[in-house]
Amino acid sequence: MSKDKSEIPYGTLDLLILRTLETMGRLHGYALARRIEQVSGESLQLSQGSIYPALIRLQQEGWIDTTWGVSETNRKVKFYSLTESGRKQVAVEIANWEKTTALVARFLGATP
Amino acid sequence: MTLHRIFARLMALVRKRQLDAELEGEIAAHLELAERDALASGMSPDQARRAARRLFGGIESMKEEHRDRRSFRWLENVWRDVRYGVAGLGRDPGFTAIVVGVLALGIGANVAMFGLLDAVILKPLPFTDPDRIVRIWEAPRPGVSNATSAPDFLDWRRLSTAFEAMGAESPVSMALTGAGDPVRLDGRAVTSDYFRVFDVGVRMGRTFLPRDEEPGNDSVIVLSNAAWETVFGADPGIVNRRVILDGQSHEVIGVLRPGAFDRSEETRFWKPLVIQQGQYKRGMHWLTVHGRLRPDLTPLQARDEMRRIAEALRDVTPSHKHTWLVEVESVQKLLFGDHLRQSMYLMFGAVVLVLLIACANIANLLLAKGAARRKEMAIRTALGASRSRLGAQLLTETLVLAVLGGAAGWALASLLVSTATPFLAEMVPYTATLDLDYRALAFAGAIVSLVVLLIGGLPAMQISAANIGSSLHQASRGSSGGHHRMRRSIVVAEVALSLVLVCGASLLFRSLLNLRAVETGVRIENVVTMSLNLPLQAYPTPDAAALFFESLRDRVIAVPGVSQASLSTHLPLHWIGNGEAIEVAGQEAPVKVRFKRVDAGYLDAFGIPLLKGRFIAGRDRHGSPGVIAINEVLAARLAEVAGVRDPVGLTVGLYCPVYGDKRATTEQVEIVGVIRNERVAAPGVPHPAVVYVPLSQVPTDGVKLIVRSGLDSGSVVAGVREALRAVDPHLPVGEIATMREVRERTLAGASRPAWLIGIFAGIAALLAAIGLYGVISQTVNQRRREMGIRMALGARSKDVVRYVLRDASELVLIGLVIGSAGAFALTRLAKSLLFGVSPLDPLAFLIACAAMASIGVLAGLLPARRAARLDPSVTLREEG
Repeated sequence: MSKDKSEIPYGTLDLLILRTLETMGRLHGYALARRIEQVSGESLQLSQGSIYPALIRLQQEGWIDTTWGVSETNRKVKFYSLTESGRKQVAVEIANWEKTTALVARFLGATP
Repeated sequence: MTLHRIFARLMALVRKRQLDAELEGEIAAHLELAERDALASGMSPDQARRAARRLFGGIESMKEEHRDRRSFRWLENVWRDVRYGVAGLGRDPGFTAIVVGVLALGIGANVAMFGLLDAVILKPLPFTDPDRIVRIWEAPRPGVSNATSAPDFLDWRRLSTAFEAMGAESPVSMALTGAGDPVRLDGRAVTSDYFRVFDVGVRMGRTFLPRDEEPGNDSVIVLSNAAWETVFGADPGIVNRRVILDGQSHEVIGVLRPGAFDRSEETRFWKPLVIQQGQYKRGMHWLTVHGRLRPDLTPLQARDEMRRIAEALRDVTPSHKHTWLVEVESVQKLLFGDHLRQSMYLMFGAVVLVLLIACANIANLLLAKGAARRKEMAIRTALGASRSRLGAQLLTETLVLAVLGGAAGWALASLLVSTATPFLAEMVPYTATLDLDYRALAFAGAIVSLVVLLIGGLPAMQISAANIGSSLHQASRGSSGGHHRMRRSIVVAEVALSLVLVCGASLLFRSLLNLRAVETGVRIENVVTMSLNLPLQAYPTPDAAALFFESLRDRVIAVPGVSQASLSTHLPLHWIGNGEAIEVAGQEAPVKVRFKRVDAGYLDAFGIPLLKGRFIAGRDRHGSPGVIAINEVLAARLAEVAGVRDPVGLTVGLYCPVYGDKRATTEQVEIVGVIRNERVAAPGVPHPAVVYVPLSQVPTDGVKLIVRSGLDSGSVVAGVREALRAVDPHLPVGEIATMREVRERTLAGASRPAWLIGIFAGIAALLAAIGLYGVISQTVNQRRREMGIRMALGARSKDVVRYVLRDASELVLIGLVIGSAGAFALTRLAKSLLFGVSPLDPLAFLIACAAMASIGVLAGLLPARRAARLDPSVTLREEG
């Protein structure tokens, strides 16, 4: 594993998942993990398995929904998609993220 | 966390299996897809499988995280721990039994004591708004209560505004005849407002109305529920029936509701109180007055009003009563006086100490067990269990133990409570139900939580990372300084706490011995007493009564086996409720005296010495010149206030109650003799001044028959009953008691706490000894090698015993020092219960310390002897 790959910033995996589902629609777990890796340009060190605990939490919050479907290998798998309240949550999370980055940027800019 | 998520997580608990299966499926599918992609990128199948796994990350840790996220993991854990804990406790039944037993002892005693306290002090009296019921009385001196005169009561009732109702009562005793054997019924004559004060309600019929108080209408009675059931066979048609009391027909107008007034035989019926013409005297005190306060007033406010009324009545009040004060106090407070309250709190304190010691003991056992389980814990840590998980598991085990102990304690408490009910009946004048209700259950729950709080953390504290690490390297030697020090401190605390209890018990027992040694001034062995009440109807004149007394005494003395017989209004060792006064010529203030009627046989029956002059004789009869004998205290009082050097021959004026009446007249009587003081009050209360009046000269209706004999009390009573039947076949016998019983009753208030606390102290000392034994045994086990080396180097078994005992004594000594300090601070709480012993009595402390020290040495001796028998050649070869 190369050293220039960075860990996912704490608490942002939820946002990445929600945002990916918002743009891609319905996905199964593997496709979701791959998609996140591709978008990040392979610069992210993601254990693909770590999306599953995040997914169950988002599902319990009611932001994503699951349906059963068939994978490319003909296996019965869960497909995830955004719910109505999930869509709203994406907006909230994005706003939070921007607020945080703006704040941090201001601090960094202030240092001489 | 949103509600949505909480619900989802709870659901996940239930759907655990399904969710696990779904996750497995997702993982498999994910790996399959990843492997396919890897193959497509040109890897070999083997490489592809490995790449897929690598990209996925740790599968097991992800599953753990998934479970943590999706449900309440701790709930799952608690349930698993409980099952594991129960299984573990089952594997070590001896340990479990001891811990549960010790806990049951501590919790059971506390719950039972709470039940008692709740019934006696915390629960309200069984009347409507019991806190508004007050007693009203005149106090000649602070702390002394006096009965009330009829005119004062009527004025109070007329002038006061602080009360919704005010009622007066006076005890009566009547013979019920006409249905089998005559029965004596004790009751109260009450004014019509009485049942508005003590609002208990009727089961059937009605209570009194003002018209029942009018002369001619007063032959009506109200029955207590208990009397209705036991005496009248629960006759449903009792209301309006007529019964014969003292030869006179009375109509039953009502039966009270069960409860409040059912406990004792003191009051089984009520009749209207009719104040006779001659009873309107302010100097004649015979009524007990109760009032029901208006809802917005306190007893103190009512008292102020009553004092203003007394001030307004000053002109009509006899001058010697001008300094008297009116008191108003809540009945609840009066019934559960300071003494009862204090002894209850003291006993509660004692059981709390027992509980603390029980906890200390269990903490000790748990620590010892923890030491034995260090390896198990170490292995589980090595296998990946977190410290907090292990701690939680140990805490759950303690919780299971505490709950089991609580359940066993509850059972023990129920048993104790059913045994304590008769004692309770003696303590409380009204019906008090002693049962363990939801309040007791809540209390038991609180105790169990307290126990878990106190000892639950200890075993968990033992698993510190360093400890665990070293445990795996250690063989069976297993010494660990830290927790061993903790066990030693716990034993010191146990010894200290027990010493406090043992000190208390030792003080109370010394006090009890003092009480038993109190000079009663009377011989009480082989004396049986019976109470009798003459119906006025059958004995309308004083002569008739006097004749009855004389013939009864002649008959009784003729009963085979009877050596002495006497009649008296009051027994020795029994307070004389009748207070009168004597007037000495030339002295303005009358001298207050206790008034006791006796016959000529009284002195001999109790062996009371005559000091001067003569005692009452057979010739002092109704109509002959009035005479009295007095006690030493009165002789001294007369010398003090009137300068009378020799009272014998002195003639004084004496207020004498008139036979069959509540009136009193002043009679001129001659003092013929002085006798030694006999004890009439509880120990610690000084002897009052007493006049002894010839029963035949001033007869009354209620007397005690006193019989001394060489026979057992059963056959004496049979003989005496026969003698009584020969004199009057219609007269029922009241309470029968031996003088020993009378004395026990007088002392009971002091002996019961002493015995209870003695038992608690014994339990505490035993628990402390067990704790000490455990710790010393463990020390000896840990130092086997050391002892072996010492013995190999020439130490004799004697030296080893001394060495181990020194260790034990050190713990005991520190415990005794701390405990003594605690006892010094705490024993003064028992001050009011002690008689003739200072709360800091050095002898009692010394005895307690000596007792604890010897218990400590005994507990150390067993392991010491085991150590002395060690064979060095064996110990030194042991693994280590």
